Amino acid sequence: MRRCMRFILASMLITSAPGVAAQEHPAEALPQEGTPTFQGFLFGDVTYLASKRGGSQGFLAGQLVGHGNARLSDRLTFFGELSASARENTYLIEVERAILRYDFADELKLSAGRYHTPVSYWNTAYHHGLWLQTSVARPEIIRIGGTFLPVHFVGAMMEGTFSSRVGSLTYAAGAGNGRGTIISRAGDAGDVNSNRATVFSVGVRPRALSGLGIGGSLYNDRVPMDSVGVGERILTGHVVWDHGAPEIIAEYAAIRHDAPAGDATTSDGFYVQAGVRLPGALWRLKPYGRFENMDIATDDAVFAPNLADYEAVIGGVRWDFEALATLKAEFRREQSAGGERLNSLYFQAALVVPSTH
Amino acid sequence: MRKTGKAAVLAGLFCMALLAVPRSVRAQAVAIVVHPNVKATNVSFDELQRIFKAEQQFWPDGSRITLLVRAPVAMERNVVLNRIYRMSEDQFRQFWIAKMFRADVAAGPKIVYSTESARDLVVAIPGAITFLPVDAVTPGMRVLRIDGALPTDARYPLRAR
Repeated sequence: MRRCMRFILASMLITSAPGVAAQEHPAEALPQEGTPTFQGFLFGDVTYLASKRGGSQGFLAGQLVGHGNARLSDRLTFFGELSASARENTYLIEVERAILRYDFADELKLSAGRYHTPVSYWNTAYHHGLWLQTSVARPEIIRIGGTFLPVHFVGAMMEGTFSSRVGSLTYAAGAGNGRGTIISRAGDAGDVNSNRATVFSVGVRPRALSGLGIGGSLYNDRVPMDSVGVGERILTGHVVWDHGAPEIIAEYAAIRHDAPAGDATTSDGFYVQAGVRLPGALWRLKPYGRFENMDIATDDAVFAPNLADYEAVIGGVRWDFEALATLKAEFRREQSAGGERLNSLYFQAALVVPSTH
Repeated sequence: MRKTGKAAVLAGLFCMALLAVPRSVRAQAVAIVVHPNVKATNVSFDELQRIFKAEQQFWPDGSRITLLVRAPVAMERNVVLNRIYRMSEDQFRQFWIAKMFRADVAAGPKIVYSTESARDLVVAIPGAITFLPVDAVTPGMRVLRIDGALPTDARYPLRAR
């Protein structure tokens, strides 16, 4: 733990240096042949939780996330993201992303490593940066540590963007290990079966409607539930508006499981989140709301033992009191497995420390 | 005539044209300047937005684009944020943090702290692109047309209001 904290802090100190040098001696900003460059961020948050749900309450230290982009050459880049998450008696250190990427062109970039799976807009837009996202926490269908959608993906990826006057089309296609024996994990130390997972995602952004994004993805895997495994096919779609005062994010995911002995089942989930940055003197405030639902098939061979139906209504307000820090207050009313509806109140401070800017 | 000779003549003509335009008009225009080896001479406004937002990171010849952005506070930065990015300073900062965090780009734009610095670096870094007050453009610099218009043209889109 101490080593990790030292690494994150040392990285931040190293990355702060180029900005200072460039300011005092502009010529030093010139790239030196073969000299890698590095830029990094530190994300942090503290949350206060009062809830009738039970479990951990009070002040939660949240995640400390260190992210770094190292440009090793004109076309070769390494992206890394490490997190330290508070647990009852310790901190859990996790390599969230580690990606080595070669950029051939805007339309073709090849990479390998550990990713956030491109099966969800939220998963690839906000990663572990709570400062970036409007709400206190992720939707349940793409919750960190959750099992519904595979959050992480270990493998290789081909991606790119085609741009034109009409708009842009972004794609990503990958092959990797798929889910591990603990199905919330990504099989970091190798595939647990001989069946590789594949993922393909596509998104379009029309230039005439700057802010609108529409996309979807298809993910195939065989979940290692027993000696044979359970076939898994995930189909997702999203519509977002992420430019200007309004923010709208809507995602839907349907997951089909084909057990060798039994019928195919489909579980699905969605959320719709809407927020608006207030005009005039109140522009630092952004009220928001979200409705989310997850419906687990009762005989789902993969999910039924671990997951239950879930529904939540969320309302909150985000206050960007400083450019790099925010406070959020959020009320949440949740129902799990058709049980009693429980209320929770969250207060969160989230920040980002960039090495430059 | 060799290519460098042609470029020198064009740059000289551009500077003469600048002198012929009333100071009140040209002082408020912001020129888009690129490294001398960049082959492009004209970009559409859409393409310019894609380049400045790092949606296009390579020139058509395959070389990487290096974006140089003037630090606040400067007239030309305000024009670029208002017209190209359509963002406030806070939104601009958040935009680049998100871009880097999402691994869309390996690095953010290089920040330059003076007009002189921008002028020096844009001719020193292959593939570089930056923006300057049109008065600060010197002979030999490669200025891009936007949708066919130069900063001296009335329909040029990058102008302080």
